[in-house]
Amino acid sequence: MEIIIPIIVTLVFAATPILLAALGELVVEKSGVLNLGVEGMMLVGAIAGFAGQFYTGNPYFALLCGAMAGAATSIIFGFLTLSLSANQTATGLALTIFGTGFSALAGAPFSARPIQLMGPLFPAELASHPVLRVVFGYSAPVYFSFFMVFAVWYFLEKTRPGLILRAVGENDLSAHSIGYSVKLVRYLAVLFGGAMAGIAGACFPLLLTPQWAERMTAGRGWIAVALVVFASWRPFRLLGGAYLFGLVMTMELYAKAGGGPLSAIPSELWAALPYLATIIVLVLISIRRDASTNAPACLGKPFLPTN
Amino acid sequence: MTINRRTILKAGAAAAALPLLGSRAFAQSEPLKVGFIYVGSINDNGYNYAHNQGRIFLEEQLGDAVETTYVENVPEGPDCERVLRELAQQGNKLIFATSFGFGDSVIKVAQQFPDVKFEHATGYQKADNVGLYNARFYEGRAVCGTIAGHLSQTGKLAYIGSFPIPEVVMGINALALSARKINPEITVKPVYISTWNDPAKEADAARALIDQGVDIIAQHTDGPAALQVAQERGIIGGFGQGADMSAFAPETQLTSIIDHWGPRYVASAQAVIDGTWTPRDTWEGLKEDVVQMGPYGPKVTEEVKAAAEAVRTGQIDGSFHIFTGPIKDNTGTERVPAGVTMTDAELLSMDWYVEGVEQPA
Amino acid sequence: MLFRLEKRREPSQLMRYLTPVAAVVLTMVVGAIIFSLIGYDGIGAVREIFLTPLTNSYKWQDLGVKAAPLIIIGVGLSIAYRANVWNIGAEGQYVVGGLAGTWVALATHGLNGPWILPLMVLAGVLGGMAYAAIPALLRTRLNVNEILTSLMLTYASVQLIYYLIRAPWKDPMGMGFPQTRLFAEAARLPTILPGTIVHLGVPIAVLVALVAWFIMSRSVFGYQMRVVGTAPHAARYGGFSENKTIWLAMLVSGGLAGLAGVLEVAGPFQRMVPGFPTNYGFTAIIVAFLGRLNPLGVIFAGLVMAITFVGGEVAQTTIGLPNAATGIFQAMVLFFLLGGDLLVRYRVRRVHGAAAPGTA
Repeated sequence: MEIIIPIIVTLVFAATPILLAALGELVVEKSGVLNLGVEGMMLVGAIAGFAGQFYTGNPYFALLCGAMAGAATSIIFGFLTLSLSANQTATGLALTIFGTGFSALAGAPFSARPIQLMGPLFPAELASHPVLRVVFGYSAPVYFSFFMVFAVWYFLEKTRPGLILRAVGENDLSAHSIGYSVKLVRYLAVLFGGAMAGIAGACFPLLLTPQWAERMTAGRGWIAVALVVFASWRPFRLLGGAYLFGLVMTMELYAKAGGGPLSAIPSELWAALPYLATIIVLVLISIRRDASTNAPACLGKPFLPTN
Repeated sequence: MTINRRTILKAGAAAAALPLLGSRAFAQSEPLKVGFIYVGSINDNGYNYAHNQGRIFLEEQLGDAVETTYVENVPEGPDCERVLRELAQQGNKLIFATSFGFGDSVIKVAQQFPDVKFEHATGYQKADNVGLYNARFYEGRAVCGTIAGHLSQTGKLAYIGSFPIPEVVMGINALALSARKINPEITVKPVYISTWNDPAKEADAARALIDQGVDIIAQHTDGPAALQVAQERGIIGGFGQGADMSAFAPETQLTSIIDHWGPRYVASAQAVIDGTWTPRDTWEGLKEDVVQMGPYGPKVTEEVKAAAEAVRTGQIDGSFHIFTGPIKDNTGTERVPAGVTMTDAELLSMDWYVEGVEQPA
Repeated sequence: MLFRLEKRREPSQLMRYLTPVAAVVLTMVVGAIIFSLIGYDGIGAVREIFLTPLTNSYKWQDLGVKAAPLIIIGVGLSIAYRANVWNIGAEGQYVVGGLAGTWVALATHGLNGPWILPLMVLAGVLGGMAYAAIPALLRTRLNVNEILTSLMLTYASVQLIYYLIRAPWKDPMGMGFPQTRLFAEAARLPTILPGTIVHLGVPIAVLVALVAWFIMSRSVFGYQMRVVGTAPHAARYGGFSENKTIWLAMLVSGGLAGLAGVLEVAGPFQRMVPGFPTNYGFTAIIVAFLGRLNPLGVIFAGLVMAITFVGGEVAQTTIGLPNAATGIFQAMVLFFLLGGDLLVRYRVRRVHGAAAPGTA
């Protein structure tokens, strides 16, 4: 049973980048925009975070580098889809192609260079305590992700700008006609999504494996996109969903390492599980009809005012 | 800093200028063009990086006599076929295809370019102008296993692999056999992660293993992720794979298995230049210097070092072979009788685990 | 003097077909500048990536073979996207099509006859359709977003390959490597030009595009798809069922992706390997847009993408441009194209007057 605490610690670390990226994407989608470029923005964030840590050794600065790089990448998406009304699906895919190529090119000089992992936030007596580390054993981005779950929920549900953002996502034309700038709101949302994806990407070299490797996010940006739908656009469900996904990813490895009945499941099924689970959840929430009520009505559609 | 072919050419030519005047004097005015294709990035810190180091070694050794080109991230399949034709058509007379999955394409393109020599790493399909080469990495695993047998305190070793191919199975078995010669209680836990390059998953696999009492981890994937976790968690150790990874785990890397393809590349290129090239099927190891052991880490004591060196030199002079019987499999059945050594063909199709290896799913 | 955008009454047909060409040209110019600035041979990169594959006749066969699956999938997707059905899981349908064809090839191993290949192709098309039917069913019955389900199914399909070739379908003679056996002669797609690698899939791709163009522009079906896409309300009023359109769009795009998959596995691959999914399904999304969702445009777009792939490799071997640069060039083409869409719907007008004093 004492294995439970290490499993939780590993899964929380594994889930954190997905949670951060998904929180960003949630806000983007709530404003009515679908950005499928999360994976690309994460990769740009990862190389920027790596470089920041490599040159300064200050992980907070490195996270900032990741955020800035992710946001900068998202500007390309914002400009094309919002200012030029380009198709969001295609632009998002192109952004992922771009981010993959750009990060590989920028990262080439950093191969075979190690960096320092970001240490835990709390002092070692707490962070390394055999039991208490389940609460105190994480580094800052983990606690930041908890905070952001709450902050995003509070912003969307309890504040006026959050209400405006949701209004823009639900019915852009009426929001426009009452005088809100649909474009501005969506730009800010896209930038926020980019910054969050960038931080999520920076978590890979800073929290999980302190090196730079091409395509090191290995598809987790797509899991983040799936997670938003899985959570039916609700921040606290996102938290639960991210940890569920993290549990599936982590349990595979603990089951294989430890033996037992779960280790008989083929690894291909483990790998496919998060995606299949997302489809099943999509179906379930559709049957209960609350997805259709909670999905932003304007999701993925370009804003084209008639005048 | 970016590395491209030109800067490498210049560096290679400069480095080779002095010691190899002899071979350069025989070089024709036209350099031999040699092509390389890699399945991954040359910046992977592992398998493809090592092949590219071999290419650089070739340039250093033969200088102006050769001119090399490489293409990285080549997908296995039709794309590879196209790249091979591209290289052949650009006048490369010797082409190294460095990944198993390139095999079908090499055979097809070799038929279309009978005057071009091809060499395929880790494959099994040969032709008049297709040679094969591989390295006996398991010899390095035997050295690693000897160290692990001495140093492990929990008696639990792990081996993170990508897919259960014979190459990997052989490595697991060599590690287990050599470690259990020192400490018969030792068990080896193989974990397959179904990917060659997902460093975060590899790191999590290492964490899962360490959390369950493993204190020495070997890995057979393309990067240093598992070794870094070993360093971070302060377990006894791990091993570098493909290249010396001590920069990533200065205290924890006990030693590393270095793929040193350079001598093999020089020999083939020289044979083409001399007109003596024939399709060979080589499987070279420590003896031929194609497999090298990296420096021993700080935790390896003099006594352990001596034991490891004995295994290493024994494999070089031929007095020791890790796959000499008696060998039982992990169900207790005797697979290799006492005194008998497994043949290369048996090794290359190995799909069973020796005693002491836990059966993976 | 200022510029401002003014909405056109009708989308400009000239701009619709001029912008893709302009996007490619702009990519060449901007790409050359950017790559020169960061220390590469920018002009050489553009020359090798975009021109060498065209000027070197030896490369034409490569272009055809690389473009064929992109065109076949791109045609299917352009039909679906016209109807506003966002199937982005063509990669998964391509994979399942390839697996279905592989299943027939393995099941008929040792048999001979001209019926094997057509049976494989049929299985491939049906496999792609079946995999696309899942998002179609979920969308029509439960209103589940097809973008997400089709994408999720793609990732699951890749794992299905890994499982099948690792366990039940593994080549007994393959030295333990995860791949199926080589297909028998009867299960391989023949080459049509002796001495080249151009296989039957290349003319099939062109044929598919032509037939699709004819159907889309000349038939009731095509009209229905376009009306549902551009004016769903009018379509409902006109008696076209939205659900029926979704089903048709998904089955056509899935079936064509499956066709591409089986042609790829029977042609260039000749066995199922872990490297079978090569992102054709995702690249074809770009191809569909670059081709303006017009089957004839898709032929052009498929060739452009094939050029960048083939040229990217040429650039690696001749001027040492890293592989990553190819992706950046591809993304640039798409960025410029998508940005240029604006010019189809809007015109740029010069404005004189009071708006901004001080501008000349």
